[in-house]
Amino acid sequence: MGENSYSIRPAFQHRFKPAIVKAKINAVLKEELTNKFYDPEEVPVLTRKIAETIKTQVKECAFERYKLVVQVVIGEQRGEGVKMAARCFWDADTDNFAQAVYMNDSLFCVAAAFGCYHY
Amino acid sequence: GPGRAGSGGAAGRRAAAAAAAMEDFQAADEGAFNVDETNNIVKECIDNVIGGVDYNHSKINQWIAAVVEQSLMHLVKMGKPYKYIVTCAVMQKSGAGLHTASSCYWDSSTDGSCTVRWESRTMYCVVSVFAVSIML
Repeated sequence: MGENSYSIRPAFQHRFKPAIVKAKINAVLKEELTNKFYDPEEVPVLTRKIAETIKTQVKECAFERYKLVVQVVIGEQRGEGVKMAARCFWDADTDNFAQAVYMNDSLFCVAAAFGCYHY
Repeated sequence: GPGRAGSGGAAGRRAAAAAAAMEDFQAADEGAFNVDETNNIVKECIDNVIGGVDYNHSKINQWIAAVVEQSLMHLVKMGKPYKYIVTCAVMQKSGAGLHTASSCYWDSSTDGSCTVRWESRTMYCVVSVFAVSIML
């Protein structure tokens, strides 16, 4: 009989590492949003661009066999209340997420990247 | 002889029953994410929690938690082979703009997402559901 070689758990070096992903997200937000103002024409395009950029950067981290979901929310800073939450139904051993917030005087941005292991 | 034919017949019936069970399982599991069903589930959960209330800063935490947890619970109860990520953002209505975008790296034949935008007189609520399949 052959040895079982199909792994259903990632090796440590291939796990989704939240700290590394958070650093990547922070770098993208800083680069795209520093000195930007909230412009209702430009922001939808900017939001999409940031989401795609973060996804590309996380893919480059090469976490093996992980499916990725990246969500970015950008809103105008007017001092009103905003609250965002997330819950996940997944395998807490293999799956993880990273998040970051960026704020300046004109806008705020929340970005979250989730990684789900594919068995 | 008759003995062999009898046992062959029983095996044949068991195989047919097993094949029928497999067919039912495959028919129930469409293989693609059902956006409409998820939309309805989420809308119902939002209406249940913040349907008739005004924005209240001290209650917003428990409302959001309730919306997300109830949505997740209903999705899981459907019994489909998915991992779920549910996010919810609630904002006071004051004329400011809010935009969301998402980018996903997955298998688009089995995985999917749906976003529900809901508003009342005093607030906006945006709930996103991402479903990641765990079947090969």
